[in-house]
Amino acid sequence: MSLTDPSESRSPEQLRLEARVHSAVASVDDPEYPGISIVDLGLLETITLGPDATATIGLIPTFSGCPALAIIADEVVIAVQELSDINACSVEWLKAPAWHADRISHEARSCLEKKFTVAVQLGERSPTCPLCASKTVEQSMFGPSRCRSVHRCTGCGETVEVVRG
Amino acid sequence: MDDFETFLNEGGIVEPDDAMPDEYRQAVFRFIELHANSELMGGLTERDWIPRTPGLRHKMAVIAKTQDEFGHGHLLYMVAADMGIKTRREMLEDLFAGKSRFHNVFHYRAKTWGHQVAIAFLVDAAALASQQAVFKNCSYGPYRRILKRIIAEEGFHMRLGEDRMMRIAQGNDMQRELFQQAIDDWWWPALQLFGPDSKPNDLLLRWHIKSERNEVLRDRWVQKFVPMLQGYGFTVPDPGLYFDDELDRWVAGPIDWEPLKKTFANVGPDSVRRIGEAAAHWEQAAWVRNALDAHHLANV
Repeated sequence: MSLTDPSESRSPEQLRLEARVHSAVASVDDPEYPGISIVDLGLLETITLGPDATATIGLIPTFSGCPALAIIADEVVIAVQELSDINACSVEWLKAPAWHADRISHEARSCLEKKFTVAVQLGERSPTCPLCASKTVEQSMFGPSRCRSVHRCTGCGETVEVVRG
Repeated sequence: MDDFETFLNEGGIVEPDDAMPDEYRQAVFRFIELHANSELMGGLTERDWIPRTPGLRHKMAVIAKTQDEFGHGHLLYMVAADMGIKTRREMLEDLFAGKSRFHNVFHYRAKTWGHQVAIAFLVDAAALASQQAVFKNCSYGPYRRILKRIIAEEGFHMRLGEDRMMRIAQGNDMQRELFQQAIDDWWWPALQLFGPDSKPNDLLLRWHIKSERNEVLRDRWVQKFVPMLQGYGFTVPDPGLYFDDELDRWVAGPIDWEPLKKTFANVGPDSVRRIGEAAAHWEQAAWVRNALDAHHLANV
């Protein structure tokens, strides 16, 4: 935290507006995981409110070649511009920090496990099976996308997709 | 079998280690194998287009879609192999030897970018509709869980397809002509993807592997895409197509099923080249498999 933390100079109105912008961004779901917000997946990094009621949303991609970037950015702009006190919104894809699976919220993790049978890899340890909680073993580091690998459960034998950083 | 069917009718879900009638095991296996093969052959089609795709935005989408399809194929082959009928390698070798089936649409050649747009827009929608109908009520647990994710991802491909279609539809005369030609070439294969009308005693329906009849899915697709394409000023290449005021629906003309049968026999317009290229990729990648096997052996 720098000494000139902007939050100290922001008025209550600004903070309230920022919270509304935050909720608007959070209303956008990941296009491949309907029901899971991009904020819960850890994509939101910064919200900057400028003069003339403009908002700049700083997002980080799970990986830079992700084909969903344009669609996510479009949806964020639409959601934020729907707020009556925002005139214009733009999205900036930040180059740092790098996204990592530990940015996924607890809620989103449990939704990934329960709704999509997808596990999340945190650290080096292989994640447990969303169905039976046994150990899983990696079958291929290449899943259907750069941020996912394919594992197999040593307990129930389920084929498990794993989200990884 | 009666008890098993009662179990299925009551919404029972079958897991790999459960007892199941052999006919059911075979039917589910064949269905998943066909799906897996189609993902793999579809991924290869998509891959062909990576160097030729116009613009970075579309290129990123094509690269990711290629990986998506191969990833889906991998997951499905694992689920199919778990049924204990063929190993993953046997399924792949059968596919490359032309001994097994994959979806009709991958027996045609995607010749222009217009074709790629039509595939992403029309064919992916047809494939997605079929998969959704399976997922809705599928009695085989592992397939149902994999499908949930595949459908979410295919739904995303559909949106990319719509994005491509809107761009080409708003393009110049040449681009619009290119897309009209693509609709003319791909309308019928996409329609045939749903298959002929389901038979009254269709076992896939009876065993809750599929949940909707082919003709119902096909009709829903027609109701969606005829007005959409016409709305963008394109024509649908079906001389028998008309709007029935009384039914308040579009009615498609008769469908020639001969082309579909040819693709089932692996003698479609582009089958030989497609299977030959896929087999060549398999051969060329043998060293990777050997290296992985050696690595695996050294680590157990």
